[in-house]
Amino acid sequence: MKTTLKSLLLIGLASPILGLSAESGTALKMDSLRAEPFVDAKTVGSINKNDSVSILTKKGAWLQVKSKSSTGWVRLLSVKRGGVSTSGNSISDVASGRTGTGKVISTTGIRGLSAEELKAAKFNEDEMKKMESYTLSPNDGQKFAGAGGLSATSMSYLKGAQQ
Amino acid sequence: MKKISISKLLSSLLLAAGLLSIQANAFDLGKALEDAAKKEIEKAKIGGEEPTPEPEPVAAPAPVIAPASPANPAAAPVAAAELAQPAQPEFNWKNPSKEEEIALGREITGSLLGAAPLVKDEALQKYVNQVGRWVANQSERADLPWKFGVIDSADLNAFAAPGGYVLLTKGLYQKIQSEAQLAGVLGHEIAHIVKKHQLKVLQKQQLLGYGASRLSGLFGKKDKLAKKALNTGAEISARGLDKDAEFEADRMGLTLAYRAGYDAYGLPDVLQTIGQTNKSDSSVALLFKTHPSPDERLAKLGDSIGDKLDNAKAGKTLEKRLYKLN
Repeated sequence: MKTTLKSLLLIGLASPILGLSAESGTALKMDSLRAEPFVDAKTVGSINKNDSVSILTKKGAWLQVKSKSSTGWVRLLSVKRGGVSTSGNSISDVASGRTGTGKVISTTGIRGLSAEELKAAKFNEDEMKKMESYTLSPNDGQKFAGAGGLSATSMSYLKGAQQ
Repeated sequence: MKKISISKLLSSLLLAAGLLSIQANAFDLGKALEDAAKKEIEKAKIGGEEPTPEPEPVAAPAPVIAPASPANPAAAPVAAAELAQPAQPEFNWKNPSKEEEIALGREITGSLLGAAPLVKDEALQKYVNQVGRWVANQSERADLPWKFGVIDSADLNAFAAPGGYVLLTKGLYQKIQSEAQLAGVLGHEIAHIVKKHQLKVLQKQQLLGYGASRLSGLFGKKDKLAKKALNTGAEISARGLDKDAEFEADRMGLTLAYRAGYDAYGLPDVLQTIGQTNKSDSSVALLFKTHPSPDERLAKLGDSIGDKLDNAKAGKTLEKRLYKLN
């Protein structure tokens, strides 16, 4: 019972998308929509770059989306999640412009990391020593991984895509 | 003294930057630089903090840079055959040793820590080092003494410096929702260090001809030089790398996190989150200035991944183990 609740909670945490009926998104590139979340599934439509879509659900590395003309599965990284406006971001971007209508984060008492502030920054030996005191050995890392049930997997580095 | 040489080279880098950005008169570099610095300080008006334009003459804490060899290079004449560790005080820009790389990274990181100190939460710092160390173990440079830290800033950003130094801001940490996402972010920074991206930029600047030896004569005393260098090391982090270096770090970072057993989509998840931040928000100003847009990075990553992860073993996200900040 408890376990069920826990796992339900976990699912909720892992995929906030599931909790929403339809999150909006924007296509980051042209891609096919497929009948199922597999690369060899039947193509049921396509999206073009900057198309607005509704995100219906997520499964592994796939999103089920609804475009103007069809509903289907598309790779996770082909769609940018979120966005307040359903008609794309360009209008809101222009509206916010340089004046910035967005939320203002209070910076009182917190030093910033602007280019100017970094230029003026002075070396802090005490903080450096503190940082150094946390240094771990490769073996420490290994132990930590083991405690979390992580095990190393081999995979070659991804190559840059053409063009 | 090795210390001087590191400081010297940082000064010369700064000079190089000054030359490029403010078109200083070649005969009055020092003055132009000073003026530029004053202007910058005046601009840096952040609530509460009052930057002191003229730092007190208190000696800047001398960084302890571990000498590469126990032998004192200043004292003994060194045989030319000893190529691996040249005892000359100049920094070996052509082929810096691991120790030189670390010393350089220490200068840069120490200055970043001067801009924003570590978050005072030992458990957090320890946790980030555990995750980072494990991810770094999956790289070709597991031999480096990797060090990680979360700094007290509301900005969204992360920094890497040569030799294995990685910092991320509290603001970014608070956006992270799982250990896999943290692993992805740290993986990206680790990749910069493994590929020596920043080091290469610094080397290139040296090759422009504004080397330490040429310019040191234009500047005054050595202690002044050292101080100036210490005060400005972090400036290097305000300059971006080229776009390709960022895309490469994304690809490698994702791979490193996956190799460590994490869900491969941690880094893309964080890019999604960053992409949802209002572009005009000051917390992402530097990040957006120094990196390609999150959209572009996501699209590039997607292109690189293609179908390569379709049959890959699913990794762990470990939301529960993510250290929660109070």
